[in-house]
Amino acid sequence: MIGKTSRIWLLATFLLILALAACGGTTSEPGSSTTDTTAPASTDTPAEQPTDAPVEQPAATERKVATFIWTQEFDTLNPIYTGMWFVSITFDIWNAPAWSFNNKDEPVPVLVTQMPSEANGGITDDGRTITLNLRDDIKWSDGEPITANDFVFTYNMIMDPANIVQSTYPYDSMASVTAADDQTVVLTFDDPFAPWMTLWRYLLPEHVLAPVFEAEGTLDAAEWNLAPTVGAGPYVFAEWESGSFARFVRNENYFNAPPLIDEIFIRFVPDDASQTAALQTGDADLGTFIPYSDVPTLRDAGVNVISVPSGYNEGWFFYFGDNGNPALQDVNVRKAIALAFDREALSQDLLLGLTKPAASLWDNTPYVDPSITPYPFDPEEAKRLLDEAGWVDSNSDGTRDKDGVELILSHGTTIREIRQDTQAVAQQQLAEVGIGLDIQSYDADIFFGGMSDGGPAASGELDIFQWSDGPSVYPDPDHYYWYCSEIPTDEYPDGANWQRLCDETLDGLFALQTTQTDFAERQQTFFEITRYMHDNVIWLGLWQDPDIWALSGRLQNVNMSGASPFYSLAEWDMQN
Amino acid sequence: MGRYIIRRLLQAIPLLFIISVILFVLMQNMGDPIATLGGRRATRPEDRERLTRQLGLDKPMYTQYLYWLVGNDWDKFDADGDGVPETPGQRLGVLRGDFGTSMVNRGKPVWEVIWERIPNTLLLMAAAEVVIIVFAVLIGVYSALHQYSVADNVITAVSFIGYSMPIFFIALLSIYIFSVKFQRWGLPYLPSVGMFDPQVGKTPSQVARHMILPVLSIAFVSLAAYSRYIRSTMLEVMNQDYIRTARAKGLRGRYVIVVHALKNASLPIVTVVGLDIAFLLGGAVVTERIFAWPGMGRLFLDHVSRSDVPVVMGILMLLAVTVIVFQIITDIAYAWLDPRIRYE
Repeated sequence: MIGKTSRIWLLATFLLILALAACGGTTSEPGSSTTDTTAPASTDTPAEQPTDAPVEQPAATERKVATFIWTQEFDTLNPIYTGMWFVSITFDIWNAPAWSFNNKDEPVPVLVTQMPSEANGGITDDGRTITLNLRDDIKWSDGEPITANDFVFTYNMIMDPANIVQSTYPYDSMASVTAADDQTVVLTFDDPFAPWMTLWRYLLPEHVLAPVFEAEGTLDAAEWNLAPTVGAGPYVFAEWESGSFARFVRNENYFNAPPLIDEIFIRFVPDDASQTAALQTGDADLGTFIPYSDVPTLRDAGVNVISVPSGYNEGWFFYFGDNGNPALQDVNVRKAIALAFDREALSQDLLLGLTKPAASLWDNTPYVDPSITPYPFDPEEAKRLLDEAGWVDSNSDGTRDKDGVELILSHGTTIREIRQDTQAVAQQQLAEVGIGLDIQSYDADIFFGGMSDGGPAASGELDIFQWSDGPSVYPDPDHYYWYCSEIPTDEYPDGANWQRLCDETLDGLFALQTTQTDFAERQQTFFEITRYMHDNVIWLGLWQDPDIWALSGRLQNVNMSGASPFYSLAEWDMQN
Repeated sequence: MGRYIIRRLLQAIPLLFIISVILFVLMQNMGDPIATLGGRRATRPEDRERLTRQLGLDKPMYTQYLYWLVGNDWDKFDADGDGVPETPGQRLGVLRGDFGTSMVNRGKPVWEVIWERIPNTLLLMAAAEVVIIVFAVLIGVYSALHQYSVADNVITAVSFIGYSMPIFFIALLSIYIFSVKFQRWGLPYLPSVGMFDPQVGKTPSQVARHMILPVLSIAFVSLAAYSRYIRSTMLEVMNQDYIRTARAKGLRGRYVIVVHALKNASLPIVTVVGLDIAFLLGGAVVTERIFAWPGMGRLFLDHVSRSDVPVVMGILMLLAVTVIVFQIITDIAYAWLDPRIRYE
């Protein structure tokens, strides 16, 4: 009797799985649906109001809902409190920058009438005053006009110590922000500030947040931080369910052409493999941070995979401090390392040919000396340079040594799979020329910890440390951690020059470029920087690290930029 | 019994205090909460210095614990970096019911962060626990009554295959088969991630469909242990004299098994279930991550990775309290199941 019951249970379970699988959801292949896309989207369905909370949407087939997958959930949506990339790329969805960047990373005016320049009088001759002229038709999603006061308020909130903001950069470079009138913002600087275009990637609504600040003395706990129901982008925030999703619906008060897609649904899926599966099944229309190894699988499933340069390049930072391995002080040893590591093969084999070796920290920007090419793979030349530098295997243990010091270098990076694979390959190839590599990997919050927190790179425990980095705020090329003054000390443990490199030539060049508001002059300075760093192997590029995006066949008219991926989101469409 | 419960609850107070101290000390070595702030690169030095001061991370560990326990509204801190503490603290401390605010979801109270996830976790874990218990009882009883039969051996083998497989493998395999492959083969397929389809909305049937794979994945790896417990205790009980007596009295076989045998065999199971139920609140870290289920397990993982001490402490203290409470409930259940047990 029991046995019969068990069999019935098992059968019932299997039938239940099939029944539930069959009901409620579509069984159609991605790319096919009954949705009518012939009528203009704007007339299909009235957009929801920002405060609509329920998720129930009975008119399912009439709406164009694009599902994006984010592998990290937002921490907050208030731009001044977050440095999370997955949040900052949403600013173009629901907030509004003064200017955005197109797919050639050229600035495109959004709130301003034109980009300020010396030619049009927007930038004074001394480069210390910049005037922004705002459009007179721009407004927040609740209909309130966007004025110069919103710019002043945003600046004040970032700089006020009552707000525990994520970063005051680059706003701390300004001496003042004033509103000459409702449509004119005047920015003043103590010194010319070349990276001024990194400013105003978002705006805070003064009419919503000023009362909160006045009442509470801070914006730290403002409801708007987690539910910014007033925005200025093509979409407006509707809902964020912790751990699950966030919804942005069409902004009826958008001051540009209305978006074609009704709703952007962002689902938080932390697991890479699950993201890939969701893209394959059509449960998602867009995903990013796709593991290189999954790209062929996705392409086989009809998913478009594109790479968009965003200024990041993966590379090795060398430790030049006195207590490090003395070998790294010798440029010939560093050159030998570059020659002994086959980075082209790395790109082809581990990264499936989807990228290529990086020649500089500024690859894919106009700031790299065009004559630079990555060091070739030449182990024989590497051996010759090491011999010449006096590093020979005198004790026949397989590793070169000099004056009793073995050429064994400690190498650390984060636990990301591709980085650990790279470590293994490097260890094997460098061993071929007699260089030992002692590899370590850490969680990101430990690896990037500061000196006072015992971070291994910051504390000088590693000879080589690897990660992917780019300019401070792409597409501007500024970099801050090469200055001598940034070397961590007991008095200044937060210093960011973990390489402990104090090079007067480099120091001078970096200081010079921040003051050059003329593009051509600044470009020449960066040519010198990139050439100098390449010739002296101060940083060794492994691969260019573009953002990899997976897009379902349903998405149409997609244009993305590395600086602001969703700059043209309002023009995207969906074919259901 | 009442005195016993009160005594146990009073004993829990110093225990919770010790647990909180140990956890807080361990947490200080978890990582640097402002290392990257969730971004793609290290935090800028000026911001690191300012945030360390503003978030109170420059205080000694015992001061930070004191603030966590009793609050800091009696103290002032230096918000503007001029070396003069001028800004009064806002925290009330755990003893006054304030677990602080999340460092990740800046300004959001810890209890709010945790509370949002509890229903999702309980929904998933309770469903999984019900599936596990129902199937474990059926399998365990069947195996005990048909010891060493072919079916018993097959069930045992399958159970152990499930038990020995890592949950991430089962979870990803189930997505691959029931979502990816079923769709490719033109069969009705199950959703891969999330709680509902945004085109349809968060309806009960959508949530139910999205629960199938995570629930079955959890159940598959946990069934073996439960069913083996039941099998062995049932075998032991079935050989007892009172079972023979019950049968000799002419009671029906099913009545003997369910009322006489299973009730007595369930005592050790109650211990295991009692402890497991407490941990249900902790969620299933791996399963929730793979299926993107917004539960406590993922919350814990997300906030540990950002070294969000207030939220992680809140989760762990909640679990500690739950475990203590369920242990007391388990002890009470013993007395109900076994009249020989008395608490003074």
